[in-house]
Amino acid sequence: MNAPERFELFVLPDGRKKVSMTPDTKLLNAATFMIEREDHTLGNMLRMQLLKDPRVLFAGYKVPHPLEHNFMVRIQTIPGCSPGVALGDAVTELIQEIGALKNKLELDVIRQRAFEEAKASQGGGLGGDEGGMDGGVGMHRVVDMDF
Amino acid sequence: MDLSGAPYGSLGTLSGPSITIQELKKDRISFILTETDLSVANSLRRVMIAEVPTIAIDMVEIETNTTVLADEFIAHRLGMIPIDSTDVERIKYTRDCTCSQYCSECSVELTLHVKCTEDRTKIVTSKDLVSNNPQFQPVVEDKNDQGILIVKLRKGHELKLKCIAKKGVAKEHAKWSPVSGVAFEYDPYNKLRHTHYWIEEDAGKEWPVSGNAKLEAEPNPDAPFDYNAKPDRFYIETETVGSLKPEDVVSMGMKTLLDKLGYVQMQLKEELASHQQDQTGWSY
Repeated sequence: MNAPERFELFVLPDGRKKVSMTPDTKLLNAATFMIEREDHTLGNMLRMQLLKDPRVLFAGYKVPHPLEHNFMVRIQTIPGCSPGVALGDAVTELIQEIGALKNKLELDVIRQRAFEEAKASQGGGLGGDEGGMDGGVGMHRVVDMDF
Repeated sequence: MDLSGAPYGSLGTLSGPSITIQELKKDRISFILTETDLSVANSLRRVMIAEVPTIAIDMVEIETNTTVLADEFIAHRLGMIPIDSTDVERIKYTRDCTCSQYCSECSVELTLHVKCTEDRTKIVTSKDLVSNNPQFQPVVEDKNDQGILIVKLRKGHELKLKCIAKKGVAKEHAKWSPVSGVAFEYDPYNKLRHTHYWIEEDAGKEWPVSGNAKLEAEPNPDAPFDYNAKPDRFYIETETVGSLKPEDVVSMGMKTLLDKLGYVQMQLKEELASHQQDQTGWSY
């Protein structure tokens, strides 16, 4: 009856900012970022990436309430850097990392598919039901050397 | 402050992250992620389970139902039927569509009409669903697949309905999940001691190592504990429900992550710019 709508998990309400920053009132170079409609998937990944940055003195994240679909990252950096820059760099690094992984995956899938197909066509050739599969067997040899 | 330590970021490391496919079948993929962080591997796992979009039946209009099963029971069963979502990118989310309720750009209509007129039990399966869009059909495994059983009919029973299938993600409902499971493992020998085994007498006997242990060197039992070690090999295997190819699930998962990060990056820039404006002199 009063159940929250399911799409509230990922639809940003009108007028709400995806990312908002609250500078720390007592510390210089410290701020808390509130990221709306995201969860541990992004939160944990960002925090770990921030901690790899030598300019970052503190990075932590929390999901303040299980029914509110947002998370907070608190960042403190060394003088000369700023939490916003550190967070931006962390995001850039992650985009590069995952982008590289995605490219590698797609290349490997092509190789793997060729390998499996060659194996399958050789299997058919051995069964003797497919004549003229010379090309297939030849392809298998080429692939075989690769692996 | 030591700034000359280990190179920062993925591009600083020697080879960068890499992925090796171990097995690629029609409905499963198993691969190893290396040189990446546990958090990245875990995010990939989470996103594959819950945030890769697929098509699933979301609304059912029942015209006639004289079967033994209640309307909502059948509607629930229909929702769980995997629908070929290879072309899911061509379909919009209904909430992003300009139409008032649903249209062919944001939904697929499937109809079903079966009546039992013989004395034998008639089975209604996912093969009886007729799609109005040939790109989005209920998944059939092969020629011999009889389809997924929806309901059994006795003589005189009739089922007539219209289904609206929509694009969605499993965060909203598990029926949109492209995978039935994701196996995720690292450190099969528990060298990092992230796991504490509950044992009767002997951990070695009671907790046999997994298959992935064959791919790693067996540790010396007398070796001192390396408290600085970090996991860097992740064994992931996933089985799909058939709606997407396994390799597409992984690559769409990565794409989802990239989209999320890209959006955050864009919005972060905006936010930082707005702060720069109202607080000149302070740099965040």
